[in-house]
Amino acid sequence: MKARIVNSADVLQIVDLLRARGYEVLAPFCGRGRDTCFDTVTDANRQQVEIHLPNPYYPPKRFVFPHIERLMTVHGPNAQMKIEPSCEQPRRAIFGIRSCDLAGLWHLDRFFLGRDFRDVYYEKRRQNLFLVNVVCTDPARDIAEDCFCLCADTGPAARDHFDLQLMDLGQGEFMAVAGTPAGEQLFSEPIFRHATAAHLDRRRAILAGVRERFRTATSWFSATVRYISQGAVLEKTWEQIGNRCLECGGCTYVCPACTCFTVSDRPLGQDEVERVRIWDSCALRGFTRMAGGFNPRRAVHDRRNRRFFRKLAQYFIQRELTMACVGCGRCAAVCHGDIGMPSVVEMIRRAAPETAPK
Amino acid sequence: MNPPNTENIYLPKLALLDRVVDDIPEVKTFYWRFEDPAAQAEFKRFRPGQFAQVSVFGAGEFPASLPPSPTEEETFFTIRQVGSCTSALHRLKPRDKFAVRGPYGNGFPMQDYAGMNLTFVAGGIGLIPLRSCIVYALQHRAQYRRIQVFYGAKSPGELMYRPDLLRWEKSGGLECHLTVDRAANGWNGHVGVVGSLFKKQGVDVPVDNTIAFVCGPPVMFRFVIKDLLALGFQERHIVSTLERYMKCGVGKCGHCCIGVAYICVDGPVFTYEQIKKLGEDI
Repeated sequence: MKARIVNSADVLQIVDLLRARGYEVLAPFCGRGRDTCFDTVTDANRQQVEIHLPNPYYPPKRFVFPHIERLMTVHGPNAQMKIEPSCEQPRRAIFGIRSCDLAGLWHLDRFFLGRDFRDVYYEKRRQNLFLVNVVCTDPARDIAEDCFCLCADTGPAARDHFDLQLMDLGQGEFMAVAGTPAGEQLFSEPIFRHATAAHLDRRRAILAGVRERFRTATSWFSATVRYISQGAVLEKTWEQIGNRCLECGGCTYVCPACTCFTVSDRPLGQDEVERVRIWDSCALRGFTRMAGGFNPRRAVHDRRNRRFFRKLAQYFIQRELTMACVGCGRCAAVCHGDIGMPSVVEMIRRAAPETAPK
Repeated sequence: MNPPNTENIYLPKLALLDRVVDDIPEVKTFYWRFEDPAAQAEFKRFRPGQFAQVSVFGAGEFPASLPPSPTEEETFFTIRQVGSCTSALHRLKPRDKFAVRGPYGNGFPMQDYAGMNLTFVAGGIGLIPLRSCIVYALQHRAQYRRIQVFYGAKSPGELMYRPDLLRWEKSGGLECHLTVDRAANGWNGHVGVVGSLFKKQGVDVPVDNTIAFVCGPPVMFRFVIKDLLALGFQERHIVSTLERYMKCGVGKCGHCCIGVAYICVDGPVFTYEQIKKLGEDI
């Protein structure tokens, strides 16, 4: 393992090192109360970067797939009409991305880049992205009640898809693990020293202990994946789930693995139009409404069925190699009707005796 | 697997509107070509049943079937004015510019149907996507056995592509059976739903070795499927083309996903056998 040790007092210097290498560094900050967010590190706020804090509700997904993203502008009157694509290729690093969100990014990679059509907008934002993963080790600050990465098999320590992984070993030390040559290249800096076997033992012990701190150790995904894939979930169960949905779209908004978007043209000025894509949500009634007014998925329970089918059906898991749920628990935290992923999985599993395939 | 595609999949190419022809009320046919001849040549490789994304800037983008056969000289769309984007297209005048990207989707595997009878069953503007297959089949007439067209509309004035229908029938290449829900304007043909044509005096629908193409409004679709199954058609020999609200056409935006299938990339053409297995009602 390419592991190094860095003192807790020096760990934020990694942010400085990345900034010195020309990266715009995005790091987590505390707002008021529970509020936390990712923001660009500047000289002014550098001291406020937090390592242990509740994972922000607004997922870092937006740095590769922005909430609103311009696709192209079209200008000129009719005769001289010209279409200009607008692709941004920022050089960015996300410092402090959690393992669940890292799994979310990898899911997006598979979705946007892994099939016949490659999404260039996503690809360009993703290309230069440097990822510094922080392992959730502090049960009081890092791990929320709704977290279930253990069950989704994405955490608390990501196994892959990061450039650098940081883990608080206590006693004033962090362990840094390189996942890519770009990450390893940082180890030439003097703040890093070699890890010993004792450090690795401490890492193992901490991870074993952290696993005990999760309230939701399992949410019975495997059974639910089977019932959903076989179409064995009764309409009645979907209706119960649908009855609790307030149709706010919050679950899709905070989800690090949701990908749906709508496209809209907006006027910029005389003879100038921009085409943007905007996050969309299958929870909203208009999602499938066609121009003539016909809506094949009008009922709210059909739309809930859609979300969980899309995330958990075996067919899509095979296609994208991972479930479209990473166990971050955000949907459970924001849902006013308590039909976040863990609750739905449990509702489906509880109805199992009725739904068991013949 | 296809080689990775590095082009911008959302970027349409500018097209020039040549002329607009009224078809039936609210439906017009738009003859167009790409500004760039190379783009035009590339586009012309589309297959019957594929679709394109049409942009009218300022209004938006919408998916549209390709009614021409790739063997025809001109490219055109036949569009009903139904929402804001299609209305914007209807407002365009010849020589106005809009933009097109595509073709997308799987299309009908016309080569696989060689040696078979083709039965087309269409309702209303459902004839638009099937027109491509009909023209294609007539231009490759030797490859296919009997070709039948069963087509119904609400009223005689709403029968699409009347000049084409007349020409096809006169050509002797196919049998054409028309019907309307309500007779008017001196209509002396059949009156009734499309399915009633199957039982009309003098009509026999070959069932063995026949592919039935079905396209029309949801109600018509359900009843025609029932009629075809009753005639003895196998589910895998009934093909249709589905439509959904769609934003990207390339399997990303998520709007057109029915059950396990993205209509835009896995479809829009499905056999009835596949439609039943999608995992969601259509």
